[in-house]
Amino acid sequence: MPVDMNVAQAFMEQVQEMGKMEVPSKLSDQERVETAKQVIRDGINAQLAIDLEACVHCGLCAEACHFYLASKDPKHTPIRKLDLMKRMYRRERSPARWLYRLFVKDVTIDDLNEWEELVYDSCTVCMRCSLICPMGINIGGGVAVMRAAMRTADLMPVEMRLVGQEQAEKGTIFGVGSEQFVQTLEELRKTGLKIPLDEPEADILVLSAVTDIVLFKDTLVSTIKIMNHIGAKWTFSSQGYESANFGYMTGDQEWQCAASKRVYDAAVACGAKTVIVAECGHSYPTLRWAGAELMGKPLPFEVLAPSEFLGREIQAGRLKVKPIGKQAKFTFHDPCKIGRIGGVVDAPRVVLDALGVDLTETEPHGVENLCCGGGGGNFLITRALPLRLKVFELKMKQFDDTGAEEVVTSCDSCMMNIMAGTMAHQWPKPTHSLMDLVGHHLA
Amino acid sequence: METIAAFLEGPFWYFSAAVFVVGVVGRLALALSLGSSKSLSVPRGSASAGAVRAVFSRFVPRRDFYRRIRLEVIAGYAFHVGLFVLLFFAAPHVEFYKEYILGFGWPTMPRWAFIVVSEIAFAGLIVLWLRRLLHPVSRKLSDAGDHIGSILIFFVMLTGCLALGEDHESLRLIHLFLAQLLLIYFPFSSLMHTFTFVFSRGYIGAGFAHHGVKA
Repeated sequence: MPVDMNVAQAFMEQVQEMGKMEVPSKLSDQERVETAKQVIRDGINAQLAIDLEACVHCGLCAEACHFYLASKDPKHTPIRKLDLMKRMYRRERSPARWLYRLFVKDVTIDDLNEWEELVYDSCTVCMRCSLICPMGINIGGGVAVMRAAMRTADLMPVEMRLVGQEQAEKGTIFGVGSEQFVQTLEELRKTGLKIPLDEPEADILVLSAVTDIVLFKDTLVSTIKIMNHIGAKWTFSSQGYESANFGYMTGDQEWQCAASKRVYDAAVACGAKTVIVAECGHSYPTLRWAGAELMGKPLPFEVLAPSEFLGREIQAGRLKVKPIGKQAKFTFHDPCKIGRIGGVVDAPRVVLDALGVDLTETEPHGVENLCCGGGGGNFLITRALPLRLKVFELKMKQFDDTGAEEVVTSCDSCMMNIMAGTMAHQWPKPTHSLMDLVGHHLA
Repeated sequence: METIAAFLEGPFWYFSAAVFVVGVVGRLALALSLGSSKSLSVPRGSASAGAVRAVFSRFVPRRDFYRRIRLEVIAGYAFHVGLFVLLFFAAPHVEFYKEYILGFGWPTMPRWAFIVVSEIAFAGLIVLWLRRLLHPVSRKLSDAGDHIGSILIFFVMLTGCLALGEDHESLRLIHLFLAQLLLIYFPFSSLMHTFTFVFSRGYIGAGFAHHGVKA
């Protein structure tokens, strides 16, 4: 059910405190520039090189970008976020580099400082710009390389840096680690829930997320109830339980690999055929699409997004739900990491159809849906809040235009961002997790 | 005049054509040689089919986007289709291809059609160029190279129209000279999108299709 706004408020204040911290870098400006340039140079593969060659600077990508649409500031044009990469390509990788070096400026520390805001605060790597681009340029892929470069140069929002480091070094996020996860499960067991943990053999490994422990505990409870309802042989793992991967969001491949490896090892240890990630948008593409590359071999298990899993179980007849009825009008927000990037668009609608809700879609929706502004770790960046709230005004209008009274989504980042917008704009419509909605309407 | 004509139709033509061919092939080859890692994840759809689909589907913008970029789409089509028709169906061009490149020709469009198509192409080019100059986004993105490309194409088209009457050899030679400058400039500019668009669309289409998304 809708989250307790007081708890949400307290969590957001905790994140805001983090944003006030100063974390000095050990790198000199020169070292920052050199390391960033190296990462950009190495990150330009054939696709990015072709993309940089193909761009005609039409700027149509701006019309797909929620940050540009909200701010109308040309600096938020998606392809401009690859400007430094283009300069690097022209000066160092292009066949005409001898010519370009005469008039294309080298990358400086001032450039990097300016680009930190562009690739973190005002881009959620939602990939909508790649849908409108007549050339089909993979701007999100380029931004991911830029993020990796900024990360190695210690130029990233302090909140993302701290949380990323914490996950890489301690295995905790916001102080929540294995111990707190197991404690949470123990508390839930006291309510009578049967919760398998560290089973030696299981068909399904279910992941959680830090947000489910500190904010959306109802979703965690619903997940457990659903798994028990379908009678699956499933388990949590005290070692590989966390879906969130701040390495993916910050652009640090070592961090990303370490977080994915914990899940991989846990799944292999119990012989799981399926891993279900939490409703934590980015965790799906991180494991489903990037996991195999990180491990250097195809994954020995399938990876499912929660909505994908729910849809499949309903269609198979194993998951039976009670109709909610048509008394309230709902709309669904497609998380960009699960819909547009993940490719899971129909499954949540199968679930909502089974729940019998009165669903009105936003325009656009599905693959073309407008990002809420909180993805890619953006929901953590305190200084980006004003811009994020302007972006949320676009979402709010879309939601309002449907006439819906309640919003459903399937991503914790979206949930938190929508809640932040709800509080700031005094917007009265409750937002539900799809998993939680199902968990409360099991037949 | 005859010396200039001999130079433009002889050594300078071969030089500009060589720069164009070697430049385009070299630039494409170098970019493609950087390689891409093969995805190890289990695909949800065919990447090859997605690549082919994207090359063609991107000719038509998605409905929601089209509402926002209607003018650019119409102007873009007017210019590009117009230029393509002029380039390959204007009688003097077909004659040129027959004599200097291919050794054979094909049916050409009548003079009235040339004039209509030229006007459409000019209108498209001017709208796109004005947008580049006036729209805050494209103005910020555009560099000198983009404007040089637009100006060169404008004058190539203008001199081509002026030379249509075939009254003055000098006009034909100016048109030929500018077209050759364009050929030399081509591989060093964003005009390369004429060829790279196939690859960039293919890459993005393959990536999305691998994830099960039609893009």
